[in-house]
Amino acid sequence: MTRFMINKVAQLLLVLLAVTFLSFSALNLLGDPLFNVVGPLAELDCDAVEAGLIEDTTTTLNNQVGDCEIVAEARAVYRLDEPVMKRYVLWLGDLISGDLGTSFKNDLPVTEILKDKFPVSIMLMVMAEIVALGLAIPLGIYAAYRANHRADRILSVGSFGVLSIPNFALGVILLYLFALKWQIFPATHDDSSFFAEMKSLSLPAITLGAGLAATYQRLLRTDLLTTLQEDFVHMARAKGMTDSHIMWRHALRPSLFSIITVFGVNTGALIGGSLVVEQIFSIPGVGRELVQAVIRDDFPVVLGGVVVIASGFVVINFVVDLLYSWLDPRVRTT
Amino acid sequence: MADTQLSVTDLQVRFPTDRGVVEALNGVSFDLEKGQMLGIVGESGSGKSVTAKTLMNLLPRTAEIDGEVIFEGEDVRAVARERRKHFWGVKMTMVFQDPMTSLNPVKRCGEQIAETLRYHLGHGRKMALRGATDLLGQVGVPEPAKRVHQYPHELSGGLRQRVVIAMALACEPSLLIADEPTTAVDVTVQKHILDLLDRLRREREMSMILITHDLGVARGRCDDVAVMYAGRIVERSATETLFNESRHPYTDALLRSIPHIDQPSHTRLDPIPGRPPEMINPPVRCAYAPRCRHAREDCLTSIPTMGGVTGVHEFACHHPANTDRGDAALAANVAVGVTPAGLHLTAGAGSE
Repeated sequence: MTRFMINKVAQLLLVLLAVTFLSFSALNLLGDPLFNVVGPLAELDCDAVEAGLIEDTTTTLNNQVGDCEIVAEARAVYRLDEPVMKRYVLWLGDLISGDLGTSFKNDLPVTEILKDKFPVSIMLMVMAEIVALGLAIPLGIYAAYRANHRADRILSVGSFGVLSIPNFALGVILLYLFALKWQIFPATHDDSSFFAEMKSLSLPAITLGAGLAATYQRLLRTDLLTTLQEDFVHMARAKGMTDSHIMWRHALRPSLFSIITVFGVNTGALIGGSLVVEQIFSIPGVGRELVQAVIRDDFPVVLGGVVVIASGFVVINFVVDLLYSWLDPRVRTT
Repeated sequence: MADTQLSVTDLQVRFPTDRGVVEALNGVSFDLEKGQMLGIVGESGSGKSVTAKTLMNLLPRTAEIDGEVIFEGEDVRAVARERRKHFWGVKMTMVFQDPMTSLNPVKRCGEQIAETLRYHLGHGRKMALRGATDLLGQVGVPEPAKRVHQYPHELSGGLRQRVVIAMALACEPSLLIADEPTTAVDVTVQKHILDLLDRLRREREMSMILITHDLGVARGRCDDVAVMYAGRIVERSATETLFNESRHPYTDALLRSIPHIDQPSHTRLDPIPGRPPEMINPPVRCAYAPRCRHAREDCLTSIPTMGGVTGVHEFACHHPANTDRGDAALAANVAVGVTPAGLHLTAGAGSE
């Protein structure tokens, strides 16, 4: 078991390294970072200015301070003169010590900007998963129990119906019905108390969770139907257990593999979905912040957000891997 | 007759399928006395397992069941309808064929045995686990205290089958149905498992139904043997009678198709020609007739009913083997070289 864990952790670290490197190089190679910091000044040929060939007042905006000094400062702060590989190593060192750099646009540390945004986004996603699993597990069990009967058919049609509604449409519909028309839930984000925040995140969580619930329900139903054919289920019935005891205690756990796998893989889609849903419900989360950072070309914020999200995704899938071995002891030895 | 524990009368089971109704059991009747061991023998698809599953209420909901099953004075099918708890698993239990798959792979062996004790007898967690350890010891698992904490995949096939048996015996049932309990384990383990079942049966004065396709297994252990063919019991009697004075041509052919130790080496075995019949819309005739060397015209127009001596040696055949009538039928068929059902009897092979 310890060896299993060491292997898994080593794998995790390798993947994290790859993830950070890819995000870093991707964002560094797309466009000129200097241009993003200082705008058109980046085009200024400072060597020529120094040599006295051209005037240092090409732009009208920054003529109080020498333009080339601004450029030089930006280059120093963001280490833009270093080669990409060296910048990556230095940036990684900062990252490990908890420093994600400084925003290009408002000079705030990226960690400060993101610190307030993550809790609400995480809460939203956790609630979405709770909605999804809370619906999918009982409904999946029921559908498998009544396989090919009317209830199962209705659930099946319902699932595909929900799956075919995109997030943004469902979000708008829910917002209109429950927040504006019937006013059961607030239309704006309210974080005055934990309960108030939960209440205002309910609709977004349902919006995000509904599609997941439908997917999970279908997967669980199929897996359960396979498990129910297994001899040990017949054995449990021969032991005189009731159907519900067999479903919950014997069949459910070995049938969770597909759900768990999709849970991990779908975290990416969930994050993508929350980007849209945060916009619709005006939730001050990471999604909104990232969208705005992209719009204002704030490269350190985008990079910081992407790295944290990607790492979160990798860590969740690491946990999923561990869950496999918890679900099935046979995984531990192989 | 002594204390009858289980009485099955005219049991019929049909499965509606897309291709038609499969008539899996066509009037199975037998009695089992307390403490006795009944062997049910037959080839695949003869209805052995369906009989067991009907008794255990394990058939899918789509199955249509008719007939009467009385167990210790209770109508078993009424118990099933009332969804009574603490009947199966307590009074009547079953051991399945494949120990590799009949244990839940994600639960420790001890937990699985303890579960039965907790569920039916209301034992606490600790007491149930102690009970499980105890049971493992009784079924001959070495180091039971260690095994209770192991997962099924950590045990060998033989040990797993012992765990399954311990699980079935947890609530001290009065009837154990063993559906080919030794088919999936190797020969040396087979003997150990059968010895164990035999010992436990005697110790606990438990009745047993042993389902097998291995005539040797049935011969050594059972008090009575019932031979099934195409959803019917075709012959039933005390074990030695059946093996020494088989009457149904099918039983006869089965016995001749297995090697005997007193035969000279290289003796050719006598296989049964043809295949078991289709169970969807079977024609009204003896199901064995197309493969039977004794078959006459009457076998193709009517289904033989159980004859012989009731409760002692019963068989369903118009022309029973090893009787004058049967010998005459066989002689008449051999004389023409073909039975009325179209089975060619080549000289030499098969002739006595």
